[in-house]
Amino acid sequence: MNELIPLMVIVPLMAALLISAFSKFNKATKIFAFVVALCLPIIPIASHYGLHYFGGYAPIMDNVTNVMYHPAITYSFTFLQQIFIAMLGLLTFLVVFIYLTKYKKVSGPYLFLLFLGTAAVTAMLLTDDIFHMFVFFEILALAQVGIVAASSIDYSYEMALKYMILGSIGSPMMLLGIGFLLALTGSVNVTDIAAAVHNGLVDATSPVFLLSLGLIFFGWLYASGLPPFHTIKSGIYSKAEPHGAALLQSFTVVSMISIVLIMFRIYSTLPIFEVLVVFFSILAMILGVSLALTQTDFRRMIGFLAVGELGFIGLGIGLGTQYAVTAGLFQALNEIIITALLFIGFGAIVNATDEVDTRKLGGLLAYHPKVSIMLLIAGLAMAGVPPLSGFQSKLMLVQASLNCGFPEISILAIMVSIATFVVFVKTYYTMFLKPKPRELELEKKEVPRTMIFAMGILLIIVILLGIFPDIVTAGISNFVGGIL
Amino acid sequence: MLEFVLMIIIILSAILALIQKDLLKAAILTGFSGGALAVLFQILLAPDVALTQAIVGAAIVPVFIALAVKKTQREDS
Amino acid sequence: MAQTQLAILLTSAALVVIGLYSAIFIDNIIKKIIGISFIEEGANLFIVAIGYKPGGVVPILMPGMDTSWFAANAAYPLPFGLVLTSIVIGASTLAVMLALVMVLYRRYGTLSTSVMLADTSKQEEYDE
Repeated sequence: MNELIPLMVIVPLMAALLISAFSKFNKATKIFAFVVALCLPIIPIASHYGLHYFGGYAPIMDNVTNVMYHPAITYSFTFLQQIFIAMLGLLTFLVVFIYLTKYKKVSGPYLFLLFLGTAAVTAMLLTDDIFHMFVFFEILALAQVGIVAASSIDYSYEMALKYMILGSIGSPMMLLGIGFLLALTGSVNVTDIAAAVHNGLVDATSPVFLLSLGLIFFGWLYASGLPPFHTIKSGIYSKAEPHGAALLQSFTVVSMISIVLIMFRIYSTLPIFEVLVVFFSILAMILGVSLALTQTDFRRMIGFLAVGELGFIGLGIGLGTQYAVTAGLFQALNEIIITALLFIGFGAIVNATDEVDTRKLGGLLAYHPKVSIMLLIAGLAMAGVPPLSGFQSKLMLVQASLNCGFPEISILAIMVSIATFVVFVKTYYTMFLKPKPRELELEKKEVPRTMIFAMGILLIIVILLGIFPDIVTAGISNFVGGIL
Repeated sequence: MLEFVLMIIIILSAILALIQKDLLKAAILTGFSGGALAVLFQILLAPDVALTQAIVGAAIVPVFIALAVKKTQREDS
Repeated sequence: MAQTQLAILLTSAALVVIGLYSAIFIDNIIKKIIGISFIEEGANLFIVAIGYKPGGVVPILMPGMDTSWFAANAAYPLPFGLVLTSIVIGASTLAVMLALVMVLYRRYGTLSTSVMLADTSKQEEYDE
């Protein structure tokens, strides 16, 4: 049933448009949004693997040169796309569910933005066409800006405008890079470009090719929030509503891996590509953890920790062997779940106490025991404590860098994991275990039950992936073997 | 010959737009630049792009900027 | 005709450089946004220049044209299709940015970036 492949993008996109058009019917909008959100994780699981050519233009074989051309925009759907899109769909469902139960009167434009972002990220992951990816990259930036600006937190407009200005410098740069690739190869299909590069039709050492790498790399740094964009990225997480931030970070992670996989397929012949990716990843790891240590706003702290975790993904992909790339992608999947869990959990705390400063909090364990315990497990999973899922992927990363002959990098990765653990435990101690400060007045405010439900589901996935990592890694490893 | 004149118009009006003290003038000069770019696209054998650029670059973008200037302030202080 | 192509590439490079300069160094937010629209225009011009063929014809197959002559002389239409999308995206991004500027002007009463977009973490401490 390959007809389901384009539906993964079309369903959220159509739902977004319909919801924003008919948002005055409150009840109907709620039911419709719920049903569509429920469909999102089901479609990729029900769909079969395969390729989809838009307009039905199948690839053409040139008989003279024996080269394959792809005239249509191609969507390729394999195990990797399936697992990531299903996870993204599940997360969207949970976030929409939390949002629908939190407010009596739902805002159509906000649901529009949530669904638009999901559709954009799904398309970026599926597509095999570099310009198609660029279009959805721009749509994703708009959706992210909207989600941040729509929150009622102070200074969210400023942060949104800053992110937007940086984005509109970054995306024309990426467009120029795509233009250089188009000028070199005459195609925007990634498979065609990669074939041209690997068959020697393009001089891989020419300055134009290197310049295109630099420009697309700049766009990637912006999309994934690696340095020098780490401050703005953690800033937009802290200025969005907590459930919105949970979705925003998954957008970041998925757009990061989809762009880096495309770059990996095109530029893997250039040694400098891998050096660049590893360099910026290590920078992100160190800066993310050390900046997280100094934060007093715990949403901002989670934002910086999330940036630090992004470095691990980049590290795996930059090392470039099959095992390392598998580890990096597995780490990406874990990070989506764990960081979403942390954002939702800390969002529940903000909801209950109206306080984001860790110095003014304390003794919350007695008031919200369920949330505290789930947050503790999520934080330990992020730091890489066995037998949780973060441990498995970080272990794979350390082994991969040892196998590649970089023991320094594995030592660094372990040190950053320990630092993550320290940062998390320090914050956890001040918020939950330390005696309650006298000024802090806690009303008997309940945490919404939907938030606990969402956290529970994500926690089950974390523990499941920690005990049985093979159900994911085997399939991802196959996929990576295909693109190497 | 026309293309060289157009290129000079594009770059000059871009620079002039950025050194104006009056933001409304800057908006109009942006429209000049966009319109000249549309004619250049026509010379570069892309009539469909030229039509879109003529509408977006010469009309919509300057009008948006002018509206924003009207709602905020006119002088670049 | 190679002269024309070189001049076009130089124009697009000039637009990108002018835009980058204004986006980074000019303090007024509306001029920053105008500069950003120049970067986009430069990128668009560059991509159209890829498809341009000196002495060619417009890539529309009219009835009565010889197909092989057309294939040899028409410009490459794929970049033109890409630029169409990119122009519209640029306009919508610009509109969203201007809308945010209008909201922020009501709060700050100035268009200066250094006032409007100062480091927000410091502002929060200042408020307390």
